[in-house]
Amino acid sequence: MDKQLPNEELMGRIAKGDECAFQILVERHQVSLLNMIYRFLGDRTKSQDLAQEVFLRVWQGARDYSPTAKFATWLYRIAANLCLNELKSSRRKRWLQFFHAYTEKQTVGEEDFPNGSPSPEDSLLARERRRQITTALQSLPENQRMALILKRYDDLTYEEIARILSCSVSAVESLLVRAKKNLQEKLNIL
Amino acid sequence: MISSAGFWVESCLIILRDDPFVEKRCDMKCRRVQKKLSAYQDRELKPQEQEEVSRHLLTCRSCREEYEKLDRVWLTLGELEEISPSPWFYPQLARRFKEPRKRGLLPALEHIFQIIGAPAIASIILVIGLAVGTYLGSSLARRDLSPSQTNPVSDSQSAFFASMSVFDPAPPGTFAEGYLRMASYGEKGPR
Repeated sequence: MDKQLPNEELMGRIAKGDECAFQILVERHQVSLLNMIYRFLGDRTKSQDLAQEVFLRVWQGARDYSPTAKFATWLYRIAANLCLNELKSSRRKRWLQFFHAYTEKQTVGEEDFPNGSPSPEDSLLARERRRQITTALQSLPENQRMALILKRYDDLTYEEIARILSCSVSAVESLLVRAKKNLQEKLNIL
Repeated sequence: MISSAGFWVESCLIILRDDPFVEKRCDMKCRRVQKKLSAYQDRELKPQEQEEVSRHLLTCRSCREEYEKLDRVWLTLGELEEISPSPWFYPQLARRFKEPRKRGLLPALEHIFQIIGAPAIASIILVIGLAVGTYLGSSLARRDLSPSQTNPVSDSQSAFFASMSVFDPAPPGTFAEGYLRMASYGEKGPR
């Protein structure tokens, strides 16, 4: 099958049960989607699971898909909803753990970052730097974080982000202003 | 022709940008421009506004510094590395979409639990506990009314005794009274 087929065409084939088209679509979007989820949640294992869940929804919902908006916007909207649900349910789990007098420290572990920097010292510094950035990013309110990730890493327009987050363009603008201001303070860029 | 005019404008702006008088005049605009800096950085302004902010940044030091801070945030965020999907990403996904969807009571219960959450379930348990406790208390108290059944009293007398019982530390029919009776059974054994 032609790997250059547009997303909408692939979705049409997926709706008819074409697995090959689905595999092409997954391969095309898996890296960007996985990284978007990873940057939002800060957990590598959960991100893999959630990214699979998003594609599973695409497979199951292919028949209902109508190409009115850009495919990526639709995909990211599913991902954003799942990410927000995941945060809610992990908050609930934490509540239950507290209820059972069992605490689980949820930190961004070093194992969450990929290896491969040249010298051990550089690697350590780079890891520490990435840990600081990830912590700052994770401390942002959910909507600010999501808007910032979609703008910074996926270079979506305000209009696309507004569609994904189901809000107005001006709301996206103010979310981004506040997110950048918060990050400036947290990363000590003064 | 256009490019040479552009060159002259650019040169003049470079000369003027550190001039203190020019900066004073800029103060009027600064607040308006600083509100737009984030959208300017994201290239979300109209072309004319984008151009206007660019020009202002060339002449105003404080706005330029603000913009540089935003730029540093953007660059810092770029330091985060990309992760790659595991080699089993697609095989696992294929396995998941091929297996039939979970149906039955357990997934439905899980779903209900996720929606209403633990606090709601705790409240339901509390309400059920209170109802059972009240029922238990009242039924035990009723069983204890046997002496009055052997010596029947008039309605007015029984109403009087009933009204006096509110001064008891554990009035009849309450959970506390039921609990005390149950505790006393433990000591004396059932009658």
